Amino acid sequence: MVLPSVGVLAIVVGYPVLYTLLLSTQDYNLLGVTPTRFVGAGNYHKLLDDPTFWTSLANTALYTFGSVAVAAVLGLVLALVTEDVGGRRGRVARALLLTPWAVPFVVVAFLFRYMYLQNGGAINAVLLASGLIRAPISWLNEASLALPAVMVTNIWAMTPFFFLLLAAALAGIPNEVLESARVDRARGLSLVMHVKLPFLRNALLVSSLLMIIANFNDFAKIWAMTQGGPGYSTTTLVVYVYRQAFENFSIGYASAIGVVWLVLLLAFAVAYLRALRVH
Amino acid sequence: MSSASRIARRASMLAALAVVVGVAAASHDASAEAVTITFANWAAAEGTTKPAIEKVIADFEAAHPDIRIRSEAISFSEIARQLALRVRAGNPPDVAQLAGNDTFLIAATGKLEPLAGYIDADLEAQLKPDAMSGLAYQGKLIALPWTLAPAGLWYDKAVLQKAGLDPEKPPKTIEELTSAMAAVRKSQPDVIPLGLDTTNRPFSLQSNWPWMATFGAMPLGDAKARADSPQMKAYLAWMRDLAKNRYIDPGRKIGEFRPLAAQDKVAFIWDQVLLQGVVQNASRMSDADFYKRWGVTAQPAGPSGRSYSFEGGHQLVMFADSKQKKAAWAFIQYLATSPTAIRDYTLGPGASLPPLVRMPTPELASKLDTPIFRAFTTSITPTVTTPAYGPAFAAASSAIMAGVQQAVTGSEPIDQIAASIQQQLDRR
Repeated sequence: MVLPSVGVLAIVVGYPVLYTLLLSTQDYNLLGVTPTRFVGAGNYHKLLDDPTFWTSLANTALYTFGSVAVAAVLGLVLALVTEDVGGRRGRVARALLLTPWAVPFVVVAFLFRYMYLQNGGAINAVLLASGLIRAPISWLNEASLALPAVMVTNIWAMTPFFFLLLAAALAGIPNEVLESARVDRARGLSLVMHVKLPFLRNALLVSSLLMIIANFNDFAKIWAMTQGGPGYSTTTLVVYVYRQAFENFSIGYASAIGVVWLVLLLAFAVAYLRALRVH
Repeated sequence: MSSASRIARRASMLAALAVVVGVAAASHDASAEAVTITFANWAAAEGTTKPAIEKVIADFEAAHPDIRIRSEAISFSEIARQLALRVRAGNPPDVAQLAGNDTFLIAATGKLEPLAGYIDADLEAQLKPDAMSGLAYQGKLIALPWTLAPAGLWYDKAVLQKAGLDPEKPPKTIEELTSAMAAVRKSQPDVIPLGLDTTNRPFSLQSNWPWMATFGAMPLGDAKARADSPQMKAYLAWMRDLAKNRYIDPGRKIGEFRPLAAQDKVAFIWDQVLLQGVVQNASRMSDADFYKRWGVTAQPAGPSGRSYSFEGGHQLVMFADSKQKKAAWAFIQYLATSPTAIRDYTLGPGASLPPLVRMPTPELASKLDTPIFRAFTTSITPTVTTPAYGPAFAAASSAIMAGVQQAVTGSEPIDQIAASIQQQLDRR
């Protein structure tokens, strides 16, 4: 019964992965300027000495874990705050909170890109008008600010996902559990910490894992906002792979980065799933 | 109904049927004989030029009933990637529109048809020698120039006047440009003094190459080329000063400055001929008003004492695997030299210069007799310099432009940035 599914998976997942592994051991240029040759672990050795690869890896980790952690906390807070808001007001509030999730990521990226503009951007206009800054800030063009600015965009777009899942998980907590906690005089923060959070643990773990994988692979937002710049300050692994594969046409080297990226994600997913099983 | 009218009605029905069958048969014959060639281009992918290229293709098909063109719209930034993949997959188009380094990237695949054998003496006499000189790869002519579009320093006379500058005397040196930008910044804080593309893409390196050159810098090319030379450091330091003084707005693509230029929000802009069309489209300005408001001049000379420009025009290439080379060449030649194609496309909405020595009609010659076209032809085109195009240029562009961005937006010492660019280039 499972044979057809295994067959399909072997074609759509297995073959590309194996072919990428094969390519990663070759000096393969898409333009065919130099003949393709087997280099063994040569591309992996090159990676070790490539500072841009390490910068990209660090940026990927910061972008992924930073965005997911903040969005998860915000989603949780919003789910808890709106938990008891019922009726029309509740429906409107939830609909509004979910709106960012409905906006396509590329649109979100362009919206924020224009809001961040040094000249004519809405964010600078508001900050200048309120007297919080004296001169406009170059949000996406300051090496130290660009990554946090892109992360804010990502968090804005991703928070509704956590809100949605956690709100659903909150609604699933049995009433008897909450009632008995209240009988035991659990209120406010103590009710959240000792009763609700343990019930949300699995939902949080699964949603975080999904979002970590999605953010690890996030290309559209970063490319549309900064193209990995200024310098390499927002270059993540996926942006670096794209540049290597489709600007430098170094498919072999790009494949080696892709393999490292896949291994990292797999290792992380396995660890995460184990944690989920333990709990 | 009388029998006479019945006969007349049947006769007319038969006649109509005969006409329909005749037309169908004729069109079947025509389509059976017609060859179809595929044309990959971004002209059909952009709103400004789409109607013009569609009209030119329709005119060509009308003039050549035996050739059909299947236009494949691919965006400017994607076309090289898609063509490289298609060449690798053995499925290239017959003809493609390319520009700048992309032409040489695709030539590096070895799958472009050398064109020298197609150019007869008559056509050779029509084409500007300068337009042809930079289009050889490994000694073979691999493209025919379609349009010429060097970059010049455009200046908004109204902005300069408000800044207390003489609008008829644009800067001739980097020092004059710097002091003019300072005056603009001081008098009009909401105006960007210089529109310069500092994004990280091969086009940006092409656009910044003349600025590096006027400082005497050449980060890529022959054996002497280095990114950590004193000249390159001087260029990077100048760029940092521009950003520090807020004379440039880093991170914008050149296309994003154009609408601002149309609103008098950019004093100087380093751009190609097409700026005129964009500004006029956006502001509904007449030709006469545009010439009163805008001027264009050669790049202000830097420490090297020379002005430079880059050629951003478009070329046409034919793929060696094309089965319809004769038809493909007829189409290429038509696009580059026919009076209708020049009128409707080359001098149309995305205006650029035709690659011809002389215009084929007096009407076209008069269209080129404007202050802007004259400035481009006489003072800017002679300053064009061609970078060391090819696969190495594409690979180096992200390292060099990342370094430029670091200089513009960061605080790392310039020496360190220049050394880092050179290290990255050495690793390739």
